[in-house]
Amino acid sequence: MAGLSIENARKSFGETQVLRGVSIEVADGEFAVIVGPSGCGKSTLLRAVAGLEELSEGRIVIGGRDVTDLPPSQRGIAMVFQSYALYPHLTVRENMAFGLKIAKATKAEVDAAVNRAAAILNIEPLLDRKPAALSGGQRQRVAIGRAIVRQPQIFLFDEPLSNLDADLRVRMRYEFAKLHRQLGTTTLYVTHDQVEAMTLADRIIVLRDGIIEQVGSPRDLYERPANIFVAQFLGTPRMNILNAVVADGDQARLDDGRSLALPALAAPIAPGTAVSVGIRPEDVRIGAAPGALPFTIGFVERLGGLATVHLQAAKDSEPIACQLRDDGSLREGETVAALLPPDRLHLFDADGGALRREVRE
Amino acid sequence: MSARRWTVTLLAALVALLTVAPLLWMLSVSFMAPGEAAQFPPPLLPADPSLDNYRTLFGSFGIGRFLANSILVSTLATILALLFTIPAGYAFAKLRFTGRDATFRLLVAALVVPGQIGMLPLFLELKAMGLVNSYAGALVPWLAGIFGIFLVRQYCLSIPDEMLEAARIDGASEGHILRRIVLPILTPIIVTLALFVFLGSWNDFMWPLIILADQQLYTLPVALAAMSREHVQDNELMMAGAVVTTLPVLILFLALQRFYLSGLLTGSVKG
Ligand SMILES: Nc1ncnc2c1ncn2[C@@H]1O[C@H](COP(=O)(O)OP(=O)(O)O)[C@@H](O)[C@H]1O
Ligand SMILES: [Mg+2]
Repeated sequence: MAGLSIENARKSFGETQVLRGVSIEVADGEFAVIVGPSGCGKSTLLRAVAGLEELSEGRIVIGGRDVTDLPPSQRGIAMVFQSYALYPHLTVRENMAFGLKIAKATKAEVDAAVNRAAAILNIEPLLDRKPAALSGGQRQRVAIGRAIVRQPQIFLFDEPLSNLDADLRVRMRYEFAKLHRQLGTTTLYVTHDQVEAMTLADRIIVLRDGIIEQVGSPRDLYERPANIFVAQFLGTPRMNILNAVVADGDQARLDDGRSLALPALAAPIAPGTAVSVGIRPEDVRIGAAPGALPFTIGFVERLGGLATVHLQAAKDSEPIACQLRDDGSLREGETVAALLPPDRLHLFDADGGALRREVRE
Repeated sequence: MSARRWTVTLLAALVALLTVAPLLWMLSVSFMAPGEAAQFPPPLLPADPSLDNYRTLFGSFGIGRFLANSILVSTLATILALLFTIPAGYAFAKLRFTGRDATFRLLVAALVVPGQIGMLPLFLELKAMGLVNSYAGALVPWLAGIFGIFLVRQYCLSIPDEMLEAARIDGASEGHILRRIVLPILTPIIVTLALFVFLGSWNDFMWPLIILADQQLYTLPVALAAMSREHVQDNELMMAGAVVTTLPVLILFLALQRFYLSGLLTGSVKG
């Protein structure tokens, strides 16, 4: 097994720059997830690692070996595609054995590898079927099986769950996690779905427009987003962002004229500076408390156990989403007090970059 | 609803009958005595069916040789056409190389030019190469039909790139991918194409007539034409010759119908 490093990867298609200097280190055995909106260059990056796309600039190193100029089959990678890309005229067994047969493995070796992978994925009963006779989830497993059989140093997954229905997606997510624990293979996984990223990753790499926005553990990124983009990309409902101007004494004046207490910052900001204040919906507290502000309930989305309440300061003002346990008591049109606790606020400067809070202890 | 269905069925049957009737009459006439078909009104069935016409054909006329010639030329034409057309169509669809799309557009544009226009230049070229009056010369136009390349390319476009890339990651060479992945997927279209080429070269009259001077090398259509010049009056013999010409391809066509139809349909059904 081996680590992966992508060094200053750049890629242009004609005039369009798709990757604009991406550097990523994935440690041996790590499960790294690249997440970002569609079109940000995730697939291009993954395909460059696989050797299916040539970089305009930069290096790919796998297990200490520079593979930048090697063909895909010699890079020690296995890739699972979004469309699964199974060979339609071959049985599941033949699909999984295809690579080994080309590598001139003996029949015994091929059988052993295929049977082992089939056992791991619980697809033994499907081995003699053709892909057309499989469900989406089963095809997915076969595609993963084909990757396992290669015994790669690195697994590459390109949005492997996006073609499955919601229910199956949750189950397969769990299976991916289990598989990774079982095999311990270094994995680079690409998705546009932040839930997949949060649940699967040891480390998340947030990509936007071919540039890395932030790298860190899911917890890190959620608690300390480096900018508004990351803050709003991770977590549902997404983080509320309010425009404000810093006033004296740790206070800010919101757009609607009301005052809001700010957290202590590592470096104080001059009064009069425009900032964006972020708060996650689950951090908004409804109920009377010192510093709470009155809001009108504009709209309640009830999800069963949880409800998302949209709070409005005035009739036309931008609503603030608040997530809480639903006891059925909140009514649309009602006026409630809500607290935006200072220690739960995220502050961003005019460019969207996070302002660091004062480090306590 | 039901009345409409009957109308459609009836119309279809009528069209089918109109199409098949001449073929059936051809078969019938081939068993008639000389001059019988020229009577008025022409008889539908032979008064005294006999195999005399076929005896003459295979005997003194020696149609067996021309039949063999035709089978040889058409088979070779089919094999050669597939050999060149399939890789070309695949390459135009799936491989990246400079000038790919421009070249392809040029080829498609050439489809507009009727084949007959190219015949004289081609003849002169082959003459310079010393291929006139040989099967090598007769086969040249079939080497890589543009329509075939177009057909294969269109079908290849429906093969997802990711599948070929998966094979590349699996370590397959381009040749291996073509043989083990692409060819099996293309089977229906290959059968269709093979039939087209076989039929085309089997029925081709003009080119073999131009390029083949030696009577021993004649294919069936050319030989029959030569025969009809000698036996202008002998309709019954000509019809027997027509039967010998039509029957093999008809049988081939019917035998491969299953593949052929699926080949024509898959494109549209799969989208
Ligand atoms: N072969 C290509 N030629 C031209 N542009 C491409 C090609 N492949 C991808 N792109 C462009 O690069 C951008 C990133 O694509 P991609 O890596 O597939 O994004 P993602 O996987 O994050 O959705 C897109 O704008 C896409 O249109
Ligand atoms: Mg993608």
